[in-house]
Amino acid sequence: MPIILVLDDSATMVMSLSHILKGAGYEVETGMNGREGITKLSGGLKPAAILTDLNMPELDGIGFIKEARKIASARFTPIIVLTTESGGRKRDEARAAGASGWLTKPAEPNQLLSVVKQLCPVK
Amino acid sequence: MSGMAEANEKLVCAILAEQVAHLRDKMDASDAFDLLWRTSALLSWLSGLLADINRQSPQASPVVERERNEAISEIAEIRRKLDHLAFVEAQRQDFAKQIADCVIVALERMSDAQMPPGTHFASADLAALYVSEDQRRLHEEVLQRLKGQAA
Repeated sequence: MPIILVLDDSATMVMSLSHILKGAGYEVETGMNGREGITKLSGGLKPAAILTDLNMPELDGIGFIKEARKIASARFTPIIVLTTESGGRKRDEARAAGASGWLTKPAEPNQLLSVVKQLCPVK
Repeated sequence: MSGMAEANEKLVCAILAEQVAHLRDKMDASDAFDLLWRTSALLSWLSGLLADINRQSPQASPVVERERNEAISEIAEIRRKLDHLAFVEAQRQDFAKQIADCVIVALERMSDAQMPPGTHFASADLAALYVSEDQRRLHEEVLQRLKGQAA
């Protein structure tokens, strides 16, 4: 099963995303901020895709994307930003850092799965 | 503003920051979400059970078989709606908590005893804390409205 790494500082969001992704056949790894995500990637986790929030403590989404792109195994891993931010400036900043896609909260489960399935289909 | 009035105002801000933080911590309705996810998982299990029964009793009457299939379809639809509801509610709750966080940080800064006397927390400082375009849009609307009232 493809692994999806989910990063969000809201425990409810993490559980909700995990529930939807697991229901669609994905394995899910989670972290509460960008630093936890980097620790997992540095520790050898090779997710098929990463879903990250932007506003998180310790290391925010943009910082996480920049650091993740320096890790050889995560250089080309699709990173989707899921955030309340809908502004063009933030979007450009995330894209420049290396984000592959963007979903604005509130998103529909089908929207989320459609993006994830395009990037990493479940066989 | 006199030193006494300013000190009182900072005290009020400190208390309000604690009150809003208390309210934000209560927003974690994890029991409700847990129930939604458990119900969804239970429905998934029931659906699988019905499908197994279908497979293991091929001699069932067409009426029973049709009713089982209808039940499986209905369960799938309810599950889809529960998952949708939980996901949308989780995002709403997350957004409300982020707005509460913004209010808490603003009140804490306004109550900060280290803030030099005579300095104030300005609306631009507040705007720097926002996490969504909706907040920025509302901020601009309020500024325009207040300017209109003052004119």
